[in-house]
Amino acid sequence: MSSHREAPEISKDPVADSTDVYAFVSPDRPDSVTLISNYIPLQGPAGGPNFYEFGDDVRYEIQVDNDGDGRADVTYQFRFETRLRDRDTFLYNTGPIEALNSPNWNSRQFYTVTRAANDDVKVLASDLACPPCNIGPLSTPNYASLASAAVHDLPGGIRVFAGQRAEGFYVDLGSIFDLLDLRPLEQLHNQFGMNVFTKPAPGVNATAAVNVHSIAIQVPTSQLTRRGSHGAGEQASVIGVWATASRQRVRLWDADHGENVSSGPFRQVSRLGNPLVNEVVIPLGDKDLWNSLPPSDDKRFVSHFARPEVSALLPALYPGVFPNLAALVKSGAARADLEAILLTGIPSGIVPGFQNFTGPVLADMLRLNTAIPPSAKPNELGVIGGDLAGFPNGRRVFDDVVTVELRAFAGATYPLVNKSFTPDAAVGAVTDGLTASSVPSGFLSTFPYLGVPYSGFDVPS
Amino acid sequence: MSGQSYAGPPADPTTATPVPATTGRQPGVSRRSVLRGAAGAGAAGLAAAAVAGTAGPVLAAATSASPRRQAARTANEPAVAGPVVVHVRDARSGEMDVFAGTSHTRLRDPDLASRLARAAR
Repeated sequence: MSSHREAPEISKDPVADSTDVYAFVSPDRPDSVTLISNYIPLQGPAGGPNFYEFGDDVRYEIQVDNDGDGRADVTYQFRFETRLRDRDTFLYNTGPIEALNSPNWNSRQFYTVTRAANDDVKVLASDLACPPCNIGPLSTPNYASLASAAVHDLPGGIRVFAGQRAEGFYVDLGSIFDLLDLRPLEQLHNQFGMNVFTKPAPGVNATAAVNVHSIAIQVPTSQLTRRGSHGAGEQASVIGVWATASRQRVRLWDADHGENVSSGPFRQVSRLGNPLVNEVVIPLGDKDLWNSLPPSDDKRFVSHFARPEVSALLPALYPGVFPNLAALVKSGAARADLEAILLTGIPSGIVPGFQNFTGPVLADMLRLNTAIPPSAKPNELGVIGGDLAGFPNGRRVFDDVVTVELRAFAGATYPLVNKSFTPDAAVGAVTDGLTASSVPSGFLSTFPYLGVPYSGFDVPS
Repeated sequence: MSGQSYAGPPADPTTATPVPATTGRQPGVSRRSVLRGAAGAGAAGLAAAAVAGTAGPVLAAATSASPRRQAARTANEPAVAGPVVVHVRDARSGEMDVFAGTSHTRLRDPDLASRLARAAR
C-alpha cells in the first residue's frame, strides 16, 4: 500500500495512520496548489453503526517546506470534535440526512483549521462541518450533493474539505504481498518451484471497494512558496510536502467513565511524503522510528534508498528477467537516481525542461514544482510518461505511483545518473496491471478531486 | 497571532513550526483523585494519574526547585484541564515524568517517588 498499515505500531492505530499524500497544481485553478492527506485505511463502507471518523485526540497536519531544509515552514493543522445530538440511541442517524445540519444526523464531526508559518499562527476557521459517511439511499440520499456542501471556502482564497472519500490509490495488494507476484508477469516468477502460474493475468485492485478519510486544502500558491513569483527553473518554485499525525504522549483508560483521556505534549506517530517509502524502502526494524521523525532526519536512512530491497528482490524472484538490474545490484553501486527522486528532487539538466530540486538535504518529501502548469493531457505515469505535471513532480490523485516506483526500482531511472546503464527490456512491462480506470468511483474534476465514497448499501462487503 | 492562545515553541522536537497548543475536547474526568499504581512498590515504571483538582500538591512538590515559577503559575494560571499523569521512571532515584495538559516535566524527587510507590500498594 502507499502507506496503509505500513509500520507495526501505526497499523494498530488506523485513526492516526496517514495513507496517501497528494500535492498538485489545481487543474481548474492553476494559481493554487491542492494538498490532500488521507487517513483511516481500508474502510469497509458498511462499517456501522459507529461509522468512521477522525480522531478527536489526534493532531493532523500537512507540512510544507519551502526552503529545502526538510523542516516545515508552513503547517496546516486540523483538529476535530465529535458532537452527539442524542446519547440515548444507538443510531448514527435517525432518518435521512439531507443536509449537514439535519436533525436526523446524530454523530457529527466539526473541525478547526490553523495555519502556522514560522511565528505567525492563525486560526483560519472553526466549526467547519464534515460530511457524514456514505451509508445508503435511505440514510444519505444524494450523497454527492451532501458532501459538496462540506467544501468550505475560507478567507484568503483557501478551500477545505475533511471527510470520507473513495480510496483513489489503486494497487494489487493481494499479489504484491504474495512474495512480490506481479500478475501480468507472474508466469516468470520463480514461484518457489511450485508452478502455480502458467500465464499472465490482469491485475486486481484490492482497494476497489474501500473508503478513506481525506483532509484536503486548496491554497493560493503564493501562500506556500517563498515570497515572490518564481520560474519553473528556480529552486524557489519547489515545495516539499508531507503529512503527519500526532498524539499526546500519555493515553489513559479511565475505567470509571469508559473512555480514554490524554495528557502531555504531542508526538508524531505517523508520517508520509512520497508513496511507498516507509512501506517498501524502510525495513521493519526502523519503520516506527521513521514515522516519528521529520524529513530532515532522513539522512540516517539513506542506505535503504541507495540499495533498496525491492531492487534486489526483482532479479531474484524473476530469474533471467532482469539481468542488467541483477548486475547493478551485484555491483553495489548506490542508486543515486532513487536518492534524487525521493530525497533531494531532480536537479536541472537531468530531465529536459524539468527540475524539482530542493537542495542537498536528504529528506523524503513529495516535491512539487509549482511553476509547472497542469497538463492538458495528463499521463498517469507522470514524468516517466512525459508528463512533467505528474509524479514525482508532486502527485495527482490518479497517478500510477505503483507502476512508476516499481519501474524505478527495476532500473528504469538509473540511466538518469549513469548513461552507460541499459534498463532490462522487461522494465517497460513491470506493473501490477492496474490503471486509474481500476478505481470504480473514479475521480472528480474539481476539489476535492477524490471520488464519492462507496456506500455501505451498495458495497456491503 | 490573531488572538488565539499560543503555547510558544513546540514541545515536540520533530515539529519545526510552532503550532497552537490546541487541546481539543478533553473527555470528562471525575473530580476525585484517581491515583493508580501501575507497578509494585519500589519498582521502576510506576505510573499515577491525578485530576486537576487534586494535582496541586503533587505539582507543588514536584516543582519545589522553582518556587518562584510555581507561585506565578498558581497565581496566574487556571487549573490544568484533563488528567495529570506521573510516570515514575525509577523509584530509587526518584526520576519521574509529569504530564499535564500538553506539557511534560522531568523531575527527580526520591521522597515523592517513595510516597507514590507507597500509595500504589
